[in-house]
Amino acid sequence: MAHNDNDSRLSAQQDFELLVSRYYSTLYQFAFSLTRNEDDAVDLTQQTFYTWARKGHQLRDASKVKTWLFTTLYHEFLEKRRRQVRFPHHELSEVNQDLPNIAPASVNELDSATVLQSLARLEETFQAPVALFYLEEHSYKEIADILGIPLGTVKSRISRGIAQLQQILTHDPGPQPARRGRPTHE
Amino acid sequence: MNSRLAKEILLRYRPSTNDASDPEFAEALEQAKRDPELGRWFAQQQAFRNTIRDQFKQLPVPAGLKEEILAGYRPVVIPVWWQQPVFQSLAAAAAIVLLIGVAFFWSQPREERSFAAFQNRVVRNAQRGYVMDITTTNLGEVRQYLATQGAHADYVLPAPLEKLPGDGGAVLRWHNKTVSMVCFDLGNHNDLYLFVANRADLPDAPSASEPHFTQIGKLTVASWSTGDRTYVLAGPGDEQFVRRYLRP
Repeated sequence: MAHNDNDSRLSAQQDFELLVSRYYSTLYQFAFSLTRNEDDAVDLTQQTFYTWARKGHQLRDASKVKTWLFTTLYHEFLEKRRRQVRFPHHELSEVNQDLPNIAPASVNELDSATVLQSLARLEETFQAPVALFYLEEHSYKEIADILGIPLGTVKSRISRGIAQLQQILTHDPGPQPARRGRPTHE
Repeated sequence: MNSRLAKEILLRYRPSTNDASDPEFAEALEQAKRDPELGRWFAQQQAFRNTIRDQFKQLPVPAGLKEEILAGYRPVVIPVWWQQPVFQSLAAAAAIVLLIGVAFFWSQPREERSFAAFQNRVVRNAQRGYVMDITTTNLGEVRQYLATQGAHADYVLPAPLEKLPGDGGAVLRWHNKTVSMVCFDLGNHNDLYLFVANRADLPDAPSASEPHFTQIGKLTVASWSTGDRTYVLAGPGDEQFVRRYLRP
């Protein structure tokens, strides 16, 4: 019987590894697009998977795992942000630095940092829908589920958010914050 | 479809997804084929979208993140207690005890139908562990699910609860009567549980719309009645904390 117990632990471990392998990159990218901070994005991503380890068994529809993970991460982000608004903290490494403006013709030369910085300048309600739009992991219905808003609102926010993003990127990409260092790959 | 609407739709078209199967996109795409000016505009937009999308997808992921996540994993194994040898060897004894228990049960009055017993049962169940029938953040979907199950779906939520994301919902039974359970996500792994029952099914249900507070286990519980419905709201923290979700 101990053998069965070991089997179930092994199976749970394998399922968890599979889940992490499949989704950790895109979850991190979504987290980073929300926080623009590597440490916070790492924390959010880890916390999401540990929440899954604790509560995931409550999800009956296996096809909704991906949406569940993104929804959980978004809730964690909102919760953390609520606390940070109440107890804001500032770090020297987050002091803004100037970036040169980008002409419309050089849109093709944009890098990830500039795109993210421009995303941060969108109206707040547009930021998460636009990030999920560009990550291309979800249908519009799933994005609505993740954000907990109606489908029509999602579509409208994405259209308006993209238009605003284009406006920012082609006219005034603005300043870029320094990023805190951690070794990266991929 | 006018050109402006077509542009708004085409702005969020993603060719590498299933977007094209949506009739809204299909119509706008057709229009872009027929209208050269719209077609040119669309081609520019797609080039722009591809650039931004590529930058999103190229966001570097920290080295070792996957390993960090896996290293911190602690499996939650729900013990299958009946498979333990010690329990198997006790099965016969348990059967005897069960027989005695059944005899005792039938000789006793049935579970109390009072409101206090109801409240105690549903709140303790929430603390012991439960499985939601539907898991979603969308409170509208929870309400819709409860309606399709014939459970109470006409409940009126206090304004602060309306603003919380859902966690899910379930249909419970109390003396063969339906009880709706709606879970709200407070973040930080905390939930609020709302139970909605038919007021007439609970003989001594609170009559007032002003909530009455009590403590059951680790949860603070508020109960009140409005119209034909009786509500029980259970959550972590003290009375003041729970009260925040009842008043606008």
